[in-house]
Amino acid sequence: MAEMASQTQRSVPLGAILTAGRYGAKGPDGPGVTLRLRHPLSIVTIMARKGRAEALAADLRDGFGLALPGPGQSTTAQDLALRWAGPEQWLAIAEGGRDSDLHQRLTAALADTASLVDQSQGRVAIVIAGPRARAVLAKGTAVDLHPSRFRPGQVAMTQMAHVGIHLTQSAPDVFELLVFRSFAESLFEFLTAMAAEYGYEVGSRE
Amino acid sequence: MTSRRLAQGGLIDRSRPIRFTFDHKSFAGLAGDTLASALLANGRMLMARSFKYHRPRGVVTAGASEPNALMEIGERGRRDANSRATMVELYDGLFAVSQNRWPSLAFDLGAVNGLAASIFVAGFYYKTFMWPKSFWEKVYEPLIRRAAGLGRASHEPDPDAYEKAYAHCDVLVIGSGPAGLMAALAAGRAGARVILADEGSRLGGSLLAEREEIAGDSGFAFVAATLAELEALPNVTLMPRTTVFGWFDGNVFGALERVNKHVAVPPAHEPVERYWRIIAKQAVMATGAEERPLVFGGNDKPGVMQASAIRAYVNRYAVTPGARAVVFTNNSSGYRTARDVLAAGIDVAAIIDARDGGTETHAAGVPLIADAVVTRVVGRERITGVNVLKGGATTADRIEADFVAMSGGWNPVIHLSCHKGDKPVWDAERACFLPPPSTPGLIPVGAAAGALTLSQCLKDGSAAGARAAGLAGFKATSIAVPETRDDEPYSIRPLWHVRQSTAKAFVDFQNDVTLEDIPLAAREGFNSIELVKRFTTSGMGTDQGKLSNINASGILAEATGRTVPEIGTTTFRPFYTPVSFGALTGAFRATHYQPVRKTPLHEWCEEMGAVFMEAGLWLRSAWFPKPGEDWRAAATREVMAVRQSVGICDVSTLGKIDLQGPDATALLNRLYCNGFSTLQPGKARYGLMLREDGFLFDDGTVSHLASGHYFITTTTANAGRVMSHIEFCHQALWPELDVQYVSVTDQWAQIAVAGPNARRVLERVIAEDLADAAFPYLGAQAVTVAGGIPARLFRISFSGELAYELSVPADHGNHVARLLMSEGSGFGIVPYGVEALSIMRIEKGHVAGGELNGTTTPEDLGLGRMVSRNKDFIGRMMGEREALKAGNRDVLVGVKPVEPDHQLRAGAHLLTRGAVASLDNDQGYVTSVAWSPMLRQWIGLALLKRGRERHGEIVQVYDDLRNSRMLVEVTHPCFYDRENLKLHG
Repeated sequence: MAEMASQTQRSVPLGAILTAGRYGAKGPDGPGVTLRLRHPLSIVTIMARKGRAEALAADLRDGFGLALPGPGQSTTAQDLALRWAGPEQWLAIAEGGRDSDLHQRLTAALADTASLVDQSQGRVAIVIAGPRARAVLAKGTAVDLHPSRFRPGQVAMTQMAHVGIHLTQSAPDVFELLVFRSFAESLFEFLTAMAAEYGYEVGSRE
Repeated sequence: MTSRRLAQGGLIDRSRPIRFTFDHKSFAGLAGDTLASALLANGRMLMARSFKYHRPRGVVTAGASEPNALMEIGERGRRDANSRATMVELYDGLFAVSQNRWPSLAFDLGAVNGLAASIFVAGFYYKTFMWPKSFWEKVYEPLIRRAAGLGRASHEPDPDAYEKAYAHCDVLVIGSGPAGLMAALAAGRAGARVILADEGSRLGGSLLAEREEIAGDSGFAFVAATLAELEALPNVTLMPRTTVFGWFDGNVFGALERVNKHVAVPPAHEPVERYWRIIAKQAVMATGAEERPLVFGGNDKPGVMQASAIRAYVNRYAVTPGARAVVFTNNSSGYRTARDVLAAGIDVAAIIDARDGGTETHAAGVPLIADAVVTRVVGRERITGVNVLKGGATTADRIEADFVAMSGGWNPVIHLSCHKGDKPVWDAERACFLPPPSTPGLIPVGAAAGALTLSQCLKDGSAAGARAAGLAGFKATSIAVPETRDDEPYSIRPLWHVRQSTAKAFVDFQNDVTLEDIPLAAREGFNSIELVKRFTTSGMGTDQGKLSNINASGILAEATGRTVPEIGTTTFRPFYTPVSFGALTGAFRATHYQPVRKTPLHEWCEEMGAVFMEAGLWLRSAWFPKPGEDWRAAATREVMAVRQSVGICDVSTLGKIDLQGPDATALLNRLYCNGFSTLQPGKARYGLMLREDGFLFDDGTVSHLASGHYFITTTTANAGRVMSHIEFCHQALWPELDVQYVSVTDQWAQIAVAGPNARRVLERVIAEDLADAAFPYLGAQAVTVAGGIPARLFRISFSGELAYELSVPADHGNHVARLLMSEGSGFGIVPYGVEALSIMRIEKGHVAGGELNGTTTPEDLGLGRMVSRNKDFIGRMMGEREALKAGNRDVLVGVKPVEPDHQLRAGAHLLTRGAVASLDNDQGYVTSVAWSPMLRQWIGLALLKRGRERHGEIVQVYDDLRNSRMLVEVTHPCFYDRENLKLHG
């Protein structure tokens, strides 16, 4: 048998182009945005069984203290976040985690009310924050991100640079883009090109 | 040349001179100038040659509608053709060249066309160059295009960046003149999110060009104070240099922001232009009005200008076009110009009013000649005077002047309000078209709505801003309107052309359409204004008839005994003014034209020296050449290694779908033509999906992972389409099914491990028992790789070898591939690419995209026995159609050149030996080809009429497109290991 695989041998998405540093225009007020990768993450698609959404909501409430978010919304409790991802469909997200840990944890609690699929390594989470984050995102998405319209915790399924993305305002003025892994480099290159006029900083991975 | 700069006044910065070149001569202008005003200030009146007759032309307007002063701006890749000198802001180093003249602007040989003008009437080209027919494309059209042209496109790549962006607002105010400013202020004070966009380099619209007093101060001062308040409001965004060019469904407005067109080179990291989609709850259209030219002899000579444009040059740019003006008008506007020109210290020879006499304040000391017309402008490149004919008189008087202000009335700029197809409404009193009566989401206001006095514009603007904010959900009231003095009542008597003119009079300057052309079109039967436009070209070109269209309608009305409202207007369409292709393209060009998808094994493929190919959006490893190998040598080596020992291939691009739920098996049975009820957990099965019409849609594998939990693969090309198909079927056809499914294409790195030693290599990294008894052909199970990675193993084969597909979570892909390479080194393991994969499947006669081409049925491809007779499924009913069951269909065969070194090509047609090449004799075509390392010759798959009955026959391959003919033997489609001994090995 070959040696034990360690989690440290996992590849990091964007590894080839993600180099921490300061790029683009250099204004006196510092970079307009910061971009960073959240990795590793645990991501599970939760799809309610037919007619079982209420039971699923009860299971989540009882098991995790989490309300099932409505369309365009998200909820968080301690180490777990739920984000709406389409009709009767949600993404459960937790920091870090070894392969399929979260999937197993949720399956144990929700197997009767939902179908669960591990997507931890199929989605890449890019975080964009800073005073010009909205201006950069407005170059890609038709969603109105004005603070009065798109509040912290809100989510949107939209498109950016011909790529489907799942967008969340994860904290005030902090936006998280979930993108299919295969498209991540293209999207990241688009974001950096659009951010260059404001200056941007690529942060180290979290 | 004489400097025409006035000693004082204007919104120019006299302390900041700016150097620029025009036709390679150096000039100086001032900050705040446009290219047109700077050329005028330098005494340069001649700016262009006309399109058809190459007549000398000067600037007519001071704004977006300019038909004449079109120039090439910038050099090499930055060159913009047909730039309007009136809209180009002056900057240091600006490089401008005139167009459509040879050898020079002052001496243009093309002007001989003007001498033959009587034959170059509208429709001349259509009629004259009819014969011989073959000459049109090769001789006439290139000649005409060279002679009659505008600017030249640059053939070099544009070095600048363009981008697109979205904006959202409660109230979009388009235009920043008096009405727009008041509307923005009213809506802004109410708390609405306001965007104020204006095409001008600075905000203020007509207030920058007039000398009107507001609240006891100048219009400039009012603009400055209002903008200061707007800027201070956090809910207001000001967008100068932004042309709103179109109104679209959903109250979306298209706009072009010229971010860095006023500098020679954009600052680093900044775009040159930005293409906006502005999504507005409500919009206020305060786009102003455009002054109509008058149509009289010589009205196109350099120095004949809109009366309002002359005010703009005098008041805003402190430039006079000449030393002595004459005014020709049929309305109030001419009087105001006379007053402003006089106030600037320039002579006004006379006001010639086509009406019996206006009620306007007369400019002191200027002779007023009422009930009179200008019949002719005298002078060549420089005007020396005009001929004036009084009512009843038979001979004209000469009045000396070196520039002419003309005003035929006002055309409200109603374009945006008509972009959704509504027709404008004629207003007889003001002799103009007004916006359509109902434009929900858009409120026309100010001069754009026919308000032609300053006080009315301010008042209506305030009300419109409040109304728009109210409709957008804000509590808003009109704001106080500042006082103005001396509103001049507007009065006009339409004058569509001067009857008494005998000299050439122009209706459309840019297209050289003369007064005669329009009645001619009517006589030829083109008597609708839309047909007149196409026949005469009036209203075409970069200005789209902003100056000419209404005069053309008036002239056509007179020529055909109808009224102007009966004639109507041509259709208003976006774009209001030209938009560059760069802006339309945005950031999506060159390598960013479309997104690139990379597999989780991309890094490993690069390490292995892969050559990548594009497959849809994906980059796939095509082959892995060793030094000195070309693609064929590399692919051949890879095939041999797999067939003899073992190789691994990145197949992560296959579409992957996770399907669960109590009714998952029922869904599969309906989606696929073959059955899945008997597929036990732990097993995989090949599946065929048909379209509703009975033809093949896609193929792939379905693996039963655990009870009610399936893992589906699709072809790379159809991954998205299959997912949409499943969603449609579930949502629209069978919503009663309790199934859940989601794409997991990106979650898994998928590695094919193929070859006689595949099991031995996998056994070194997987603990589970892989012996044939424990894990037979078409097994599917969860395994653990390298002692810790949760993975899935499928025993499926595309190559015909003992083969597996191993799925590992994407982050682990590179590591696992490297591990397989090192563990397989003792077996001579190789990486293989799509090319080798394809060769091996052709050797085995397995179908792929070339055969699943939308015209084939399962029966055609020898897969008929997979079609279930015991259940319903998509495509069953239509698949029973007679023609799909007919015996003479093209069916799958193998083809092998009789001469083994002959190269087959896909797409070549098949003919019965000796038959003439004709459509009737066509027997089918070659779908896939490869040079087979196992057979040491070219082989192919083909669709051949009654092919299954023809194995052994020699047929002709006919490919005259690529000049190739040969004889081939028809064979069974499987060329290699037909007994599938290796598969089960």
